[in-house]
Amino acid sequence: MKYSELIKANNELQNDSDAQYKVAILSNIMVHQTKEICEYLLRIENVNANVYLGDYDNILQDSLKFKNFNAVIIFWEISNLIDGFHYKANLINDIEYKNLINKVKTEIDLIFSNLKETSLVLVNRFSTLAFDQSSLNSTRMGELKNILNGHLYNHIKSNVKIIDIDKVISKTSVSSSTSFRYYKSHKTLYSVDFFREYFSYINPIILSVNGVTKKALIFDCDNTLWKGVLGEDGVNGIEMYQEVQSIAVELAKQGVIVGLCSKNNYDDVDDIVKHHKGMILNDQHIVIKKINWNDKVSNLKEIASELNINMDSVVFIDDSEFEVNLVREHLPMVKVFLVPPREYEYSMMIREVSGLFYNSNPTSEDIQKVGMYKTKLKMIKSEKEISNIEDYLKSLEIEVSIYADDIRIVKRISQMTQKTNQFNLTTKRYTETDIEKFIKSDSVSVLAFGVKDKFGDNGISGLVILDISINKVFIDTFLLSCRVLGRNIEYRLMDAIIDLAKKSKVKVIDAEYIKTLKNEQVEDLYDRFGFEVGQRVNNSWRYQLDVKKYQSENFNYIGLKNGR
Amino acid sequence: MEDRIKAVVSAVLNISIDDINNDSSPDTIESWDSLKHMNLIVALEEEFEIIFDEEDFEVMLNFQLISLTIREKI
Repeated sequence: MKYSELIKANNELQNDSDAQYKVAILSNIMVHQTKEICEYLLRIENVNANVYLGDYDNILQDSLKFKNFNAVIIFWEISNLIDGFHYKANLINDIEYKNLINKVKTEIDLIFSNLKETSLVLVNRFSTLAFDQSSLNSTRMGELKNILNGHLYNHIKSNVKIIDIDKVISKTSVSSSTSFRYYKSHKTLYSVDFFREYFSYINPIILSVNGVTKKALIFDCDNTLWKGVLGEDGVNGIEMYQEVQSIAVELAKQGVIVGLCSKNNYDDVDDIVKHHKGMILNDQHIVIKKINWNDKVSNLKEIASELNINMDSVVFIDDSEFEVNLVREHLPMVKVFLVPPREYEYSMMIREVSGLFYNSNPTSEDIQKVGMYKTKLKMIKSEKEISNIEDYLKSLEIEVSIYADDIRIVKRISQMTQKTNQFNLTTKRYTETDIEKFIKSDSVSVLAFGVKDKFGDNGISGLVILDISINKVFIDTFLLSCRVLGRNIEYRLMDAIIDLAKKSKVKVIDAEYIKTLKNEQVEDLYDRFGFEVGQRVNNSWRYQLDVKKYQSENFNYIGLKNGR
Repeated sequence: MEDRIKAVVSAVLNISIDDINNDSSPDTIESWDSLKHMNLIVALEEEFEIIFDEEDFEVMLNFQLISLTIREKI
């Protein structure tokens, strides 16, 4: 897609609704071409991004002006720390040089401090590649780069991510990334091609805080997990793609759901997975297998529904152009990759695939996830056997633990707000910094819920955030992770809210349901709890409940206690 | 070729192709500011696979002059 076509397509995706993800890009060089490119790459992923550019060379003041934006991205170029620094660097005297170092260090500290409450801050590592790529000798610019990068890493805050811009420059090559011609005439150092690569590279971070994450990686088997066709070449005729399998194992260990979807005889593949010496990926890592002769579209649909994840969080790899196109046509939201003809190309591709599964801070829940998803699938099987759902739920021995304002689980709490789409009443995304602020505040109560049953521990899987004022409680956030749905746990969470309201001597509870494309299943939740529906504004419904009138469903077979 | 240039100008400045004539310039089109002008130059270089010289930047002051400059390059 040409740059002009991208601008046009981006204008067509412009949506002026209130739900905007506001990004500010601050810089000490001209980077105005970032606006459309950043917006476009996010908008095609359904994040309604609006990019605002800071003033030229005004990062410090702009960090105050834009601190309330959803994200701030900083392009800070060493070459323009003072005008013409890229050719003056080796000539300025030691005092000037020292002063410059101290000035920039102080500015970094001030900017991080100004932005300390901003949800997400991305700052590029200082780079000199454009200017000293041919230099064998160490240069002052190179030395300064190391000093400043050291300072960045030493003063990093939890809401800041440092982006290694050299990786992006080397991917597009120094000569296509940067332009001396435009730098000289317009202080525009980077090319449009560079910006495309840059925003594709950082996008997974922004998408993940917007709840757009890839969760499952599904492999075909023949010529995808191994070279050869099992049915034709036989057990001894196939050769494992060890590099690809190793990366899949690595992803499984980070909590990515790895699965198989292949047209084969189940027992044949099962035998390979269990007994083939070359297999690195095994049943310990594989959560789900659809090995049969049905079409792949149906199989992928079943995978998503059994795992209770959205189709758009699925990534699928297959070697057959026919299957790939079939899936692309019928399930356009699935990200599909075709295995390239040469093995080294496949090794390169699998790294690109693994980049899609960005997880800023893997939590212990992520690491246990393979086990948890498997437990969930086991339960689906036994659910089919038990007809009376109530009896079944009673037999589960479910226990819910309340963790109130618990600073130790901030990471997991923030992650739930960012990843939960279906059972989420308001779909408000919060960073760790936001959650810490809530926990420390007297007027906000953050209740996280751990869920356990006889099949295993699901970890922290529910969240309620309450705004408490003198005579009212407002339910800001109410969500349940999809792995504990369908067990009436939400009713016990409501019981816990009522307990807290009574303890705080509050008479009225206000709540809100904000409709999204994914949370239809909870549109009547507050009705079911007995709330009175109130005003509707656009996609948001207000609810109110008189605490005295609340009638618990008394699902007492679900234990409720304080966690620690 | 005129049409290709118009298509790029229309996309970059977010205006209708019909609103572009030979005299169109930053003075007559509101969205055509100095930043958009830069984007336009980048987009035209990509479209026609040409490279403008620094002197060209100073000449390309309206649609007709842009179009003439491009003609000289290809």
